Amino acid sequence: MLLYKAWAETRVRFFAGLIAACIVCVYNIHVHAWQVEMWTHDMQNPNGYHFSWMPLGIHNYGWYLWQYLYNNYLQQVWALFALLFAFGGLIRERSSGTVLFSLGLPVSRRRWLFTRLAVAVLESIALSLFAVLVVVIGSAVIHQSYSLTQVLLHTALMVAAGVFIIAFGNFCYTLFPGNYLCLILTLVLLGVPYLLLQTYMQHLRYFGRTTWLRYFDFAHAMAGPWLLNWTTVPWMTLLATWMLTAAFAGIAVAYGDRVDY
Amino acid sequence: MGVVIETVALKKTYGKHEAVRGLNLSVRAGSVCAFLGQNGAGKSSTIKMLLGMIHPTSGTGSIFGHRIDREKESLLIRQKAAFVAEDKRLYDYMSVAQIIRFTKAFFPRWNHDLERRLLEQFELPTERRIGQLSKGMRTKLALLLGFTRGCELLILDEPTEGLDPAAIEDVLQIVVSLAAEGTTVFFSSHQIAEVEQVADHVLMIDRGKLVLDAPMDQVKEQYRHIQAVFPEPVEERDFRVPGIEKVRTEGRTVSLVASHNVDSILEHVRMLRAGSIDVLPVSLKEIFLEKVKSR
Repeated sequence: MLLYKAWAETRVRFFAGLIAACIVCVYNIHVHAWQVEMWTHDMQNPNGYHFSWMPLGIHNYGWYLWQYLYNNYLQQVWALFALLFAFGGLIRERSSGTVLFSLGLPVSRRRWLFTRLAVAVLESIALSLFAVLVVVIGSAVIHQSYSLTQVLLHTALMVAAGVFIIAFGNFCYTLFPGNYLCLILTLVLLGVPYLLLQTYMQHLRYFGRTTWLRYFDFAHAMAGPWLLNWTTVPWMTLLATWMLTAAFAGIAVAYGDRVDY
Repeated sequence: MGVVIETVALKKTYGKHEAVRGLNLSVRAGSVCAFLGQNGAGKSSTIKMLLGMIHPTSGTGSIFGHRIDREKESLLIRQKAAFVAEDKRLYDYMSVAQIIRFTKAFFPRWNHDLERRLLEQFELPTERRIGQLSKGMRTKLALLLGFTRGCELLILDEPTEGLDPAAIEDVLQIVVSLAAEGTTVFFSSHQIAEVEQVADHVLMIDRGKLVLDAPMDQVKEQYRHIQAVFPEPVEERDFRVPGIEKVRTEGRTVSLVASHNVDSILEHVRMLRAGSIDVLPVSLKEIFLEKVKSR
C-alpha cells in the first residue's frame, strides 16, 4: 500500500518523464541523417569544423546514440525526472498537512523514506528502459544498426551512477524548507553545476584537454566511455558515487528520525 | 482497571518556549477521557509526543506499557491506537474508497461493519476524490478512518471541529458506543458541552501544566459556586481556606469557587457572619474558565 501511495503521488511526473524521454530520443534519431550530412559536409570543406570525433559520428550510429542520448540529452532528461521522482516524503507532507495522518499509521519513518526512494529508483529504471524501447523502434524506422548490448550497458551505467541524483534530491528535499522552494533550490544546486561542468568538460575533451575538474564531472561518470565493457566500466567512479549515495541517504534517515512534526 | 496512557514529567520545549512543562498524567483503560485546554496550552504537543510524532525534550511516557520515545515501541502503539488529528487533512488525490482501502491494509482488526454503517450514516460518496469533499465531509471521513481501525485506544484531537450539530451528535454517540465496547477514548476538545456529555474523566492543561485531573462525577459533585452576602464589606484575604479556587468580592457580596472541602468553607463563611449563603453547582465551562484564567 505504501508503494501504491508513492506511485499515486508520482505517476503524473512519471508519465511526463516518458513523454519527455520519447521526444528527446525520437528527435535525435530523426535528425541523425541531417547531422551526418552536416558533418560530412564539414569534413569535405577545408574551412569547416574538423573535430577528431567526426568520422566516428559519420560512420558509427552507435557512437551517435551514445553521444547525443547517453552523454547528453537523454541523460539530462533522465536526471531531471529522477530528481522529480524523488520529490515528496514526510517532510513535504508537513506542508500539505497530511503528515499527521501518515504518521498515525503503524509505519516507521524509515519505511516511509525507503519506500519513497524505492519507487523513485524503480520509476527511473522504467524511464531508462522505455528510452531503450524508443531507440530500438526509432532506429528500426530509420534503418540504422547498432549494438543493443552497448545501449543496455549505457542505460545500466546511467542508472547505476544516477541513483546518486535520487539520494541527493531526497537529501535536499529533507533539509530545505518550503514545498516548491526546496524543489527549485535542489534543481539549482544540482542542475547548474551538473550542466555547466558537463558542457565545459565536453568542450575540453573536443580539444583533447582535461583538468582536475574531471573528478566532479558527474555527467561523464553517468555516460562512461562510448564503448563499454567489463574493463572500461568506471568502477572507481561508481564506487565513489554509491558511497556518496549511501552517505546522503544515511543523513536523510538520521535527520528524518529526529525531526518533529 | 489498568492504566493505558501514562506520562511522567513529560516536557517539550521549542527554542525558549516551553509547550509542555513536566506533565504527569494517566488515563485508565475503558475510560472516556477529555483533555481540555486553551489554544496553545500544550494539548496537541502532548498528543503528538504520545504518538511519536514529536520527541520529548525530557521525561517519559507509555501507552499500553510501550515507551513513546522509542521508534519500535511507537510502532506497536500505533497498531493499537487510532489517531484523528486536529487538521483532518487526507490525501487529496485518493478517492474515499481508495483511502479506506489504503488505511484498512495496516489494521488487521478493521471493523468492516462499522465502516459500512458509517459510510451510510455520514453519506460519504465513495468514488469522489478527497480534494473535492467539503470540510465537514473530510472530517467525517477522517473520523471514519479512526473509528473503524478496531483499535483499543482512540486518540482524537478536536474531533468535532467543522461538523454541523447533527453530525456532532452522531460522532458523540459513536464515541460512547465504542467506549461501551471497551475502547479507551482520549480526546481533546474546546466544546465543553460535548465533553460533559460523553467524558467520564477530565484532564485540564494550561500553559503546559496539568491543572485538573479528576473523574467527571467528582468534578460535578465537588465543585461548587458559593455566593455570600455579608453585613460589612469583606476582603479577599479573609477567604484563604483550602479548597477555595477563586474569590471575587463586590462590596458586601462574595463569590467563591470551591473545588473541595465545601463543608469547611461554608463553616468559615458562616463564621464571618454572612447574611445569606447560596451554594450552586458549577458547570465544567465555569471550571475551565476558572482554571485557565486564574493563572
